[in-house]
Amino acid sequence: MDNTEQRLVKVFETVFPDLTLDQIRAASQTTVATWDSVAAITLMNLMEEEFTIEIDFDRAAELASFSEILAYLRTL
Amino acid sequence: MKLSEALSIGQKAPQGGTSYPVLLACGFSPLHLQTFLRGHLQRVLPERTVEISTGLYGSLADTLEQLPAFSGEAVAVFIEWADLDPRLGYRSLGGWGSSSTSAEATLARLGNAIQSKPPSLRMVVSLPTLPLPPGFHTVSWQASAAELALESALAEFARKISLLPSVLVLNRQKLAPDAYDFRSDLNTGFPYSIKHTDLLAEAMAGLLTLPPPKKGLISDLDDTMWRGIVGEEGPDGVCWDLAGHAQMHGLYQQMLQALAGQGVLLAIASKNNAETAEKALQRPDFVLKRDKIFPAEIHWQPKSGSVARILKTWNIGADSVVFIDDSPMELEEVRAAHPGIECILFPKSDYPAAFAMLQKLRDLFGKPSLSEEDAFRLESIRNSQQFQEPVSGEQFLSSAEATITFEWNPPAEDTRILELVNKTNQFNLNGRRFTPAEWHQLTTAPGAFALAVSYQDKFGPLGKIAVVAGQETGSALNIEAWVMSCRAFSRRIEHQVLKQLFEKADRIQFAYQETPKNGPTKDFLKGESVLTRADFEAKCPPLYHRIENHHGQHRTALSESI
Repeated sequence: MDNTEQRLVKVFETVFPDLTLDQIRAASQTTVATWDSVAAITLMNLMEEEFTIEIDFDRAAELASFSEILAYLRTL
Repeated sequence: MKLSEALSIGQKAPQGGTSYPVLLACGFSPLHLQTFLRGHLQRVLPERTVEISTGLYGSLADTLEQLPAFSGEAVAVFIEWADLDPRLGYRSLGGWGSSSTSAEATLARLGNAIQSKPPSLRMVVSLPTLPLPPGFHTVSWQASAAELALESALAEFARKISLLPSVLVLNRQKLAPDAYDFRSDLNTGFPYSIKHTDLLAEAMAGLLTLPPPKKGLISDLDDTMWRGIVGEEGPDGVCWDLAGHAQMHGLYQQMLQALAGQGVLLAIASKNNAETAEKALQRPDFVLKRDKIFPAEIHWQPKSGSVARILKTWNIGADSVVFIDDSPMELEEVRAAHPGIECILFPKSDYPAAFAMLQKLRDLFGKPSLSEEDAFRLESIRNSQQFQEPVSGEQFLSSAEATITFEWNPPAEDTRILELVNKTNQFNLNGRRFTPAEWHQLTTAPGAFALAVSYQDKFGPLGKIAVVAGQETGSALNIEAWVMSCRAFSRRIEHQVLKQLFEKADRIQFAYQETPKNGPTKDFLKGESVLTRADFEAKCPPLYHRIENHHGQHRTALSESI
């Protein structure tokens, strides 16, 4: 697990404290019941805080799973 | 606080602790504001479990109109311009601008809802923090008449609600300038930047959990009250004005004068020749009026001893006092001798630090409202010195022309009652502190009563100086709370209170509990938690007070029987 993934896991742990590491890595809006619109916004704001970035809200729909978000962060 | 910290604090709240239910009332999506408010409140109240509920999206007035049904402890109200008229926000496209009439109508509705809240429910209100939209005809650096009319209507609304019991209005000057997050508002309906949300939630949590204000300030003289050493430069050589490059000392005097006006006790602890220092204090251009200072300990003895004598004269604990000196060594000596005292280094030539100190003094001594007792606190302490004189004795007490007024079941709007209960340490039955809701519950239960005691004598009034609350159970009284201001000691008021209570019952049971500070209560009760009328009458010293009884509104068994 590289540094970016470790930091993203930390963000997910803050929003979804009940998930295990394996569940976080497999997490998506369809598999995590508590990943609602409020959780999605909170995830985005926490990622902005953690990685000192600004995420385009228009791309939010594309960031629907841990793996998609990780891939997005690696493009920055 | 970061968003991640706020979330973590909320998640680590104690399970099974006493809950602290708060209503967050706002017209927008509460989103992170809920998280930050919970985080800041949980940090201030670590023993309790903060529970935040939210109102209706898009209608602040509807939420506030539901308040009579809310059973929590506090309400945090966040008003934004769009709540007064959607045309003053960015999320509707009905055209910008608003008539002040429309906003005034909404403000009137909000005001009525706030006025209808239970008096004991604590409420803090944040006025609009976001800028008005650009839909006004003037350039942005010119305030248009329409904008000023809105500000004027808002100011009048704020002034009115600030006078209501248990309502505190947040000072907008404390907030960040970059409050608005346009992107977030349009995409999520949450209009605040994260930084602004953090500051706003912290300020509102601070207002909801205000610590008791400090009561007294002890100041040094040289290089603090004025610039220079009066023993070397003479009374006319020290300065505190712009001409002498010593304006911060003049502003400090001005701050102390303002504090004295709100009932803060002021004293001096200075190593100096008393006669020389007194001449400087008597200079006509001295900003702080000399008669606001009592006592003045000016000599060459250690300052810890001076502070001890001042505390004894004021009859308050070190943790209620601030000590200011320009010498770190003197501060350390006083701090070591008086744990709990707040020591502040006077910043002689550090302008930002001096400005910060003035702000800090405001926060340390700030109180939600002033009472008439604040106006004559110092005078009553001066007069109290005469009661402490051993030569006074019975003759002095009998000639004091004292009148004690007992107000049974005072109105809930009288904020002095709970203020006295929550800030009194020495004569305090058990040290218990109450929220407005808890006090309301205690004093309105079946058979319950509250008693407010006021005192005056030929030296002047002391105002309301004691409060008793309890319950009547058959021929006995259970006293749950009993406090008396230290200013009222040595007048046998506590004896007179018991005498009045024994007119209603043969036996009194006290919910006494020893605290680190309530020694005077322990001495008075002599460790007894039950007292009979016969025992009391056998031990009661002569009482010389004239008595007045007033009866309030609460319909309780006791008030109906008296």
